[in-house]
Amino acid sequence: MTLVDRLLTFVRRLRRPEAETPLLGPEEVQRQFVARYRWFRELLAANTNTLEAMAALETALRDGRTLSMTFIRARCTLATVNVYKIVHHLNRIADGRYSELERIFGRLQQEIESLLAGNPGRTEGELALDLARVGRDQADLAGEKMANLAEAGSIEGVRIPPGFVLTSVATRLFFQRNQLYPQINHIIQQMDIANLEDLHSKSAAIGELIRHSPLPPELESLLATHFERLTADRPGCRVAVRSSGLGEDLGQASFAGLYHTELDVGRDALTDAYRAVLASKYSPRAISYRLAKGFRHEETEMCVGVLAMIEATVSGVCYTRSLSGPSETLDLFCAPGGARGIVDGTRSTSHLLLERSAPHRVVRRLEAADPATVWLTDAQATALAETGMRLERHFGVPQDIEWSIDTHGRLYVLQSRPISVVASRAPATKLSRPDDERILLHGGVTGCAGAGCGPVHIVRTSEEMLRFPNRAVLVVKHPQPEWAPLLKRAAALVAETGSEAGHLATLSREFGLPALLALPRATEVLVNGETVTVDAATRTVYRGRIEELLQAPAVRPNPMEGSPVQRTLIAVLKLISPLNLTDPAAPEFNAAHCRTLHDITRFCHEKAVTEMFDFGRRFRFDQGAAKRLRDTLPLEWWAIDLGGGFVPGYDIRQKEIAIADIACTPMLAIWEGMHAVAWEGPPTAGLRTMVSFLFQSALQDGLDPQRTSALKEKNYFLLAQKYCNLSVRLGYHYAMIEAMLGDRPGDRYITFRFKGGAAGENERLRRIDLLAEVLAHFGYRIDRVGDALTARVEREPEAVIVERLKVLGYLTIHTRQLDLVLAETGAERFFRDKFIQEIGDMLNHERTDLSA
Amino acid sequence: MSEQTFQLEAALKIHLLLVDDEPEFKEVMHRHLSRMGIRLSVSDCCLDALATLEAQNVDVVIMDMNMPGMDGIQCLRKVKERWPQIEVIILTGHASVKSGIEGMESGAFDYCLKPIDVRELIEKVELAAQKALINQEDIAS
Repeated sequence: MTLVDRLLTFVRRLRRPEAETPLLGPEEVQRQFVARYRWFRELLAANTNTLEAMAALETALRDGRTLSMTFIRARCTLATVNVYKIVHHLNRIADGRYSELERIFGRLQQEIESLLAGNPGRTEGELALDLARVGRDQADLAGEKMANLAEAGSIEGVRIPPGFVLTSVATRLFFQRNQLYPQINHIIQQMDIANLEDLHSKSAAIGELIRHSPLPPELESLLATHFERLTADRPGCRVAVRSSGLGEDLGQASFAGLYHTELDVGRDALTDAYRAVLASKYSPRAISYRLAKGFRHEETEMCVGVLAMIEATVSGVCYTRSLSGPSETLDLFCAPGGARGIVDGTRSTSHLLLERSAPHRVVRRLEAADPATVWLTDAQATALAETGMRLERHFGVPQDIEWSIDTHGRLYVLQSRPISVVASRAPATKLSRPDDERILLHGGVTGCAGAGCGPVHIVRTSEEMLRFPNRAVLVVKHPQPEWAPLLKRAAALVAETGSEAGHLATLSREFGLPALLALPRATEVLVNGETVTVDAATRTVYRGRIEELLQAPAVRPNPMEGSPVQRTLIAVLKLISPLNLTDPAAPEFNAAHCRTLHDITRFCHEKAVTEMFDFGRRFRFDQGAAKRLRDTLPLEWWAIDLGGGFVPGYDIRQKEIAIADIACTPMLAIWEGMHAVAWEGPPTAGLRTMVSFLFQSALQDGLDPQRTSALKEKNYFLLAQKYCNLSVRLGYHYAMIEAMLGDRPGDRYITFRFKGGAAGENERLRRIDLLAEVLAHFGYRIDRVGDALTARVEREPEAVIVERLKVLGYLTIHTRQLDLVLAETGAERFFRDKFIQEIGDMLNHERTDLSA
Repeated sequence: MSEQTFQLEAALKIHLLLVDDEPEFKEVMHRHLSRMGIRLSVSDCCLDALATLEAQNVDVVIMDMNMPGMDGIQCLRKVKERWPQIEVIILTGHASVKSGIEGMESGAFDYCLKPIDVRELIEKVELAAQKALINQEDIAS
């Protein structure tokens, strides 16, 4: 049964009271209806809030902007709480007849909660594991980095340092024993992520909490046992304490240099180093990176690897597929001593290109310092390339490998992970006329190709970092990972040292940020505030803005793409936003078919409106409750007050009411539109049309054109001060207007529904066409299915709503019985022009009056 | 889309109690609400709030869910049990579907997230005030 049919039933029942329903007096009717009206309004407010929260989530996903779990959780909570309210209010309006919805809602609520909670992680298992015992399937215990390293160590011919891992179970034990999770979550939820200063101070607060918490005794003693075992046959051996986070494999992310590594640690400093690595999960750069890349803090639990230190003579990085060289080559970067200077960009490095295929000939050497100093012999380089390709074959994808060669010439692999992002090989834009005069600097190496422009901002200290303006060019001495929080804000990166193998270079490629490294004197030549264009591809910095270089669309990858946070949002939106219940007339339009929060919202809204109409069926109106309006139009108009619809002092015992006694703003507007232009009576139809009309009428039940009462139907206004619901039979047609003029934008709307007619389908559709055209002309949003029309105005200021209600008032009178004549050629256009003209005059006339 | 200025009516007729342990937040809210002519009392914690409700006639309460001492949900339940006519708006800086639904099931009028949009909160106060005044009329009749 459609809404219209229900309304018809309602109107009929108002006329033919049924014996079994209770007869309520005017005051009781009013009291009952007022309560329902109040719940109805609350339902509408909750409906608006739900749709707003849903739209915010959908927009966030579509825009691909940085999403935090705090944002997602907040919007999901608002949507869920408001749908709870909607279900609750509908059941109050309908005396609990939709209680089935509570079960459906409860199930959805639980599923949403569990998606938002994420993977709770392991709380049981070993606290510490020997690296030699770690298998690839134990990444959830040992973290990606250590699980991969252990796996690499199991390959024949690949050597890794001995060591052990403090597992994710140990981390959880430490955090739980010290009740750190709720405290940290609270701090993170309050964090203003756009504010670097806030990020730094809150990060410091979390770091303090962690560094000052004691290790559980069982963990302390395990740490000691494993350390003694590791150093038993290596007297005086010191260790490297390294991070190994969970979930680093969950997205296209390198996590390069984000976490702390403590080198040369002895027994005394071991506990502090362990806590320092755990705390580094909440460093400003790690928090902002996870946020930008869509990682969930709770799913990136930190594990800690403790590895014997290698006494390195030369160390470096190997990319088994070259980032900048020919495609069948691999990169080797090296420098004397440990690997740190290379990855944090503070050290000058040599760059070798080798063939990927055996025998791995050296193709090119770019020595960093004195060309006479060769840090890595060709034989060593070839051996390294062989190990690299072995790792690539084993793991199935090109690898990014950190390595060291010790004093005995033994090669150790310290880390092996997939190359996160392969640098874009898009051709560089060439300037049509080389602009040598504007060149400020030229040289260095390309960290990430592309061009960017902005004012120079040199960063040497944390204070200078906090003052970094958005879209400035970041200029630093060394490309250290601590500047990582600025990568999302910067227009380009320039550094005096570093190489493609540095962590910040890796991160700049992930964010698609043009980066030019190893450019000497950059911090001296470039001046703060001066606008420059950095063309990383041609390794040049220009004075001013070079439009030609900036025209190529910036290839900024969406760092959120495929991330855990984005996946959570997509999964949770599947429970929230699809709308399956679209057609209220369809048999599937019922509670059992609600599969999402949107379905529930839609279903409840429809049912609430229907319930408001059905009120008359369940609580039969006493004739005394309705007051007949004294009027000149040849129709019967009745008004029922729902609260505040009649002026104070109106005597409720009267049977009639004058328009002057009506206090309902929307009704007064409709009424004004009805009376603004005199109605000329039903239009005359040609004979042929009349015959057709009579024929159609005979086919349809209840449409007897002979029935003289057709023009004497009672039309009911249900009124409150700011609400009006008019069900009007206009001859053989039926229309419903609902209008509300609340204070909140979501509570200001007009809905007009119109359906059916007695004439043939063509005439009916012509009439709908006519109405749709005129309403659209005056700013209504039109929705039509067959001969059913819905027209809406929403969220407009009160003056606009009032004006548009007058349009409806006019049309409800002047489109009466038009089917009779619309079959005639040209009639539709004639009436459309006439209506638009007359309504326009009516509204203009009032505006002129106002301005006068 | 132009916005109308929000008109306060019911909120000007009621006594509002704000329960929160964050001094800055209380200060900001106090400034805004007092400027708009809303009669306001302030409590630091649930126990203090219950004592205030015992001593004075309050119509609407704004209450933070995460305060030291008594759990916010417990406090809400106590308030609604003892003074069902009072409307309570709950606030939280730690959004969770579970706590939101628990709050609504325990009789909260509405649920707001921090950081708060002051205008949005004032709108909710007006709606809660309208409801609280109706509750009083219902009791009177």
